[in-house]
Amino acid sequence: MLHVRYRSLAGIAAGAALVGIALASGAHLAAQPADVASQTARGKTVYDAHCVECHGANGKGDGPAAALLTPRPRDFTSGKYKIRSTETGSIPTDDDLIRSVSQGLYGSAMPGWKGILSESDIRDVVAYAKSLSARFGSETPKTVALGPPIETSPEGVVRGQRVYEKLQCAACHGIDGRGTKAIATEFWDDWKQPLHATDLTEPWTFHGGAAPRDVYLRFRTGMAGTPMPSFVDVASDADMWDLANYVVSLGRKPIWSMDGPDVAALLARQDAEAKANPVKRGASLVDTLGCALCHSPYDAQQRMLPGMRLAGGLLLRIAPFGDFPTGNLTSDKETGLGNWTDDEIKRTITRGILKDGTRLLPYPMDWASFSNLTPDDLNAIVAYLRSVPPVSNKVPPPRWASFPVYMWGKFKFLILGDDPPIVFFPGNTGTTGGRR
Amino acid sequence: MKRLLKRAAIVVLVLAACGFLAFLYFIPPFFITPPEQFGKDMGEAAPSVADIRDARERAIAERGRYLVVTHGCEGCHATNGSQGPDLTKYLAGGGLKAQTANGTYVSRNLTPDKDTGLARRTDEEVKRVLRSGTFPDGHVVPMTAMPWASFSNWTEEDRYAVVVYLRHLKPVRHQTPEPVPGNALTIPGAFDQDYAAKDYGVGAATVK
Repeated sequence: MLHVRYRSLAGIAAGAALVGIALASGAHLAAQPADVASQTARGKTVYDAHCVECHGANGKGDGPAAALLTPRPRDFTSGKYKIRSTETGSIPTDDDLIRSVSQGLYGSAMPGWKGILSESDIRDVVAYAKSLSARFGSETPKTVALGPPIETSPEGVVRGQRVYEKLQCAACHGIDGRGTKAIATEFWDDWKQPLHATDLTEPWTFHGGAAPRDVYLRFRTGMAGTPMPSFVDVASDADMWDLANYVVSLGRKPIWSMDGPDVAALLARQDAEAKANPVKRGASLVDTLGCALCHSPYDAQQRMLPGMRLAGGLLLRIAPFGDFPTGNLTSDKETGLGNWTDDEIKRTITRGILKDGTRLLPYPMDWASFSNLTPDDLNAIVAYLRSVPPVSNKVPPPRWASFPVYMWGKFKFLILGDDPPIVFFPGNTGTTGGRR
Repeated sequence: MKRLLKRAAIVVLVLAACGFLAFLYFIPPFFITPPEQFGKDMGEAAPSVADIRDARERAIAERGRYLVVTHGCEGCHATNGSQGPDLTKYLAGGGLKAQTANGTYVSRNLTPDKDTGLARRTDEEVKRVLRSGTFPDGHVVPMTAMPWASFSNWTEEDRYAVVVYLRHLKPVRHQTPEPVPGNALTIPGAFDQDYAAKDYGVGAATVK
């Protein structure tokens, strides 16, 4: 059923794209419409094979993986791109997009496809992604005029630090580039998705690359859809080069290039920071442990229902035991964890025993593994769950299979060697009152 | 004498039947085993890093071990023995078959075996699966088979630590089947909306 919908939606998207191209009156499109159309069609084949899991069947950035990723995958229908060499508000050039697809976006789930896909495949899939937004039919990219690069120097880095202060970069990135004393480091982008201010001491996470020219371009062009502005109106070209050289100078070595003592110091620092900021540590653990994967309802295209992250209600059939809806983990007092004590939450996470004393199966809720979490990490998870805004979603109790069904299922499992899959059902089994 | 034998046979048969039913009912003994035992078994199954001589390598592998154990890799990447998962073949794969809309996946061998395990893959290739779900041939493993989007939220340094630890595991030669492309329609019950709507009123609820 999922499969069918998937295909038909993709087909509609492609059809719409082709119609869009046929109607487009741009000179460069009109010149070779057949070529563009066939390239777009080829690109769609590449897209369907490699891109839908994150970017979704219709390119809206809402594939099955999307809701769990930070930053979220690009919504191609918006025509807004962060990594560009074009003026603020302009669409990117083809080369910008080819670069992002080829090299990937560091610090995100987007891999570099160079070496996996051929160069022509990459060009085709870029053409397809462009066809999803009408902007590429009606606008031309305005490439920024690059001044001569300023090589890094000790004086330039000092000047760059002054630019960093003048432009108030510390408000989001902190006085040290790591968020220290920042006003805020967590934001929402134009699609209301969560976003972190980049840690400037970790250049391997800079989405568009960490060479001075890459960093300079982010200041020059801004990052569309995010709070990161362009500084073209408030800083000179030389200022932005100095700032780029300063930001590059903030970079530290990654753990894979560090010596023994540095590794020990880094791990100790990370542990201390985790302890000092349990909510942040807990948020990161909840993300990496994948709690939201089961404790949020999805639609038939595996898109998380909006506003329902961690609100439970996803139905799992675990043969031969029965049907189990996942619990509401938000801080809602009536339907979520709001009335659970810390110890009750921790007992569920580490021993699989609910507030009312019911024991959970040892899978798929992996409480046995979670029991190996350190006490600090458990406290961090509880602290984070307490901070999740309450969503009212009353989840029904599980339905255990009847005795004969259970025994027959066990017979098939133990004697006939049947290995039944866990089945996920789309939709929310709970009764939701929305966000409180 | 004969009657006695006959009675004894009946008793034995009844006992055997009860034993068989009890076996069906209680095995695997999920609710008889104390909950602490599950976590203890899993924690102890993961090889220690104490035998790594280099202090730097050991510190990083220890971080990786913590992530591997707490994130439950062995939940899927275990190898089935005759009595449930064979934890001595830690992370040698094969223990889970996931049927998804895009095909059938069997959990892979994560030990550093040179023919069947991760010794065939570079660090970057392993990290790319954990970051993007993308295999060297370009296919993307569906979220319902391997929840890689969760592991994508690890920092790059944590992901590196996981790879360092996986490289330290005891190599186990165990060829696991390649993915079989498939179709959701062939999976009975999968994404059964009619069932969900009928029994649970799924879909009727609205989200504000």
